[in-house]
Amino acid sequence: MSLLSMDRLRNCLEGIVPAGIATCDPDGMPNVTYISQLMYVDDVHIALSFQFFNKTRENILANPVATVLMMDPDTAARYRLRIRYLRTETSGPLFERMKAKLAGIASHTGMVGVFRLRGADIYRVLDIESVPGRTLPSAPLTPAALPALRRSADALATCNSIDALVDTLQSALERHFGIEHQSLLMADCAAERLCVIASRGYANSGAGAEIAFGDGIVGVAAREGTPIRLMFPAVEYAYSRAVRDRIAPEDGLPEPGEEIPLPGLAAPASQLAVPLLATGRCLGVLYVESRQLCRFNYDLEDALVTLCAQFSLALRALQAEPGDDTSVTAPPPGAVPDGRPLRVRHFARDNSVFFDDTYLIKGVAGAILKRLLEIHVDSGRTEFSNRELRLDPCLRLPDICDNLDTRLILLTRRLIDRSDDVRLEKTGRGRFRLQLNRPIQLEHG
Amino acid sequence: MSFFHSHVAPMDANLSPALAQFVTGHLSIHVAAGCGDGLATLVRGLGARIDPADSHYLRVLVSRSQSTGLLAAVAGGYPVAAVFNEPESHRTVQLKAPAAEVVAANEDDRALLGPYVRAMADRLRTFDTPEPYVHTLLACAPDDLAVIRFTPRDVFGQTPGPRAGAPIAADGPAP
Repeated sequence: MSLLSMDRLRNCLEGIVPAGIATCDPDGMPNVTYISQLMYVDDVHIALSFQFFNKTRENILANPVATVLMMDPDTAARYRLRIRYLRTETSGPLFERMKAKLAGIASHTGMVGVFRLRGADIYRVLDIESVPGRTLPSAPLTPAALPALRRSADALATCNSIDALVDTLQSALERHFGIEHQSLLMADCAAERLCVIASRGYANSGAGAEIAFGDGIVGVAAREGTPIRLMFPAVEYAYSRAVRDRIAPEDGLPEPGEEIPLPGLAAPASQLAVPLLATGRCLGVLYVESRQLCRFNYDLEDALVTLCAQFSLALRALQAEPGDDTSVTAPPPGAVPDGRPLRVRHFARDNSVFFDDTYLIKGVAGAILKRLLEIHVDSGRTEFSNRELRLDPCLRLPDICDNLDTRLILLTRRLIDRSDDVRLEKTGRGRFRLQLNRPIQLEHG
Repeated sequence: MSFFHSHVAPMDANLSPALAQFVTGHLSIHVAAGCGDGLATLVRGLGARIDPADSHYLRVLVSRSQSTGLLAAVAGGYPVAAVFNEPESHRTVQLKAPAAEVVAANEDDRALLGPYVRAMADRLRTFDTPEPYVHTLLACAPDDLAVIRFTPRDVFGQTPGPRAGAPIAADGPAP
């Protein structure tokens, strides 16, 4: 195997230094132009963006071989590729990855509105020639991906609860990969929506914020089941600008989806969304971002895809075998707090819950909160187990078993963000306590 | 000859003064040549100027060691194409010629290298490209310099967009 392979040279395809392409018409007349975007597909395939019916395309359809001159963005090393056109893809994961990347390149080069991807032209790499010339030493500025991946994988392997799994993933990204801004979103595949359950690096966790499949970088990653990585800012993929579905305000109520802003940098320079895939399903998306240009390279993408695969399998395993601690006997009900009651309104339509007219949460997390407060108001109980919620006939939500643990994490964090009066505190494996500073007055809307 | 005219470089290479000035204005350059087997080879250019000895010709500088295939193709009589791009504005033209020749670089060609690299470093600062990177990418030892000399026959507008690739008049304005 040659040491020169696209696996080793893929950094040249990042679009940082434009490459050139030369083709020949059937009469042998060359045509040379700059390439907006090259993309790594695998060790022997690359993709070129097809945007316009130009001379390059005309030549390639008549004579499918071409020569590309590409430059390493760090060392300035030059490589000449001989490539053969195979096919054009106009939808699917590769197309979407390329479309997102092109948007970033257009933004970086001032070509927004000019670049529009018609297709991803797939080429086989026939030969790679190293072109002589001066080069710079390579000086990586980010942690080495493989050791960081191994340390993170070791840490994930010790987790025996979903809470610990989520915290460990986020800590590993911070400690081992130096990633400061990150969100973890879980998917509700039936509703084709994603919900933030945890984040780091922002003033508010954004727990409970929602985004639809297909919206923004995160939504596209979930819909296509493929990582999407941007090296440059791209307005159309800005996480905070993602369009969200709205619930029509039939009854003059606030619109719950609008109440929780998505956590995110106002103007990220680099973005990466990695779907959490396991057993053929998209369980959610890990999203990381940075103010630094070109922060996330191919190696980091590979590392996070691999780490997310382990995370997803562990998540599925822990969901299937909750292993709640049932040896603990519930203490008697604690004293009911004094003071002005907290008015809690629940709307069955979407399970939205409001504290003193302020929106808190909806969906599965809303239904869980309402049920906990209902039991507390009826019996004074404050100690609960995940197991009883799973079996509770009043919580007959179709995917409650899959979602219970992650929704409890979301609910816990949302309460920390938005209320001083209600808290959920973990008391053991699969057990938690409802902590109240005020009495509850539960109303049904 | 007036003082003013003595300072205006003669422009030609079958191009309007505006086009000639554009392609010799220290732009990003790629040069390609057909190889006779349906394949083209290409290399980065390192500057361009009108040939003062015969203003019908354009001289495009390349690194000899990087252009073995290209120089052989040119010497073999195959056609050439060269694209000139102003990075910060994206204005681009492509010139084509049915034949070209390889000529030895002279002192004036070698004197062009420094100003060319400095101008390119200035242009690429728009994209935060570090200056050492540009100097490395475009580095060429003076004795490694070769010159491709040709008279353009066709001119194409190559600025990105739906009209990229359309012929433009050789006696017309710059893109």
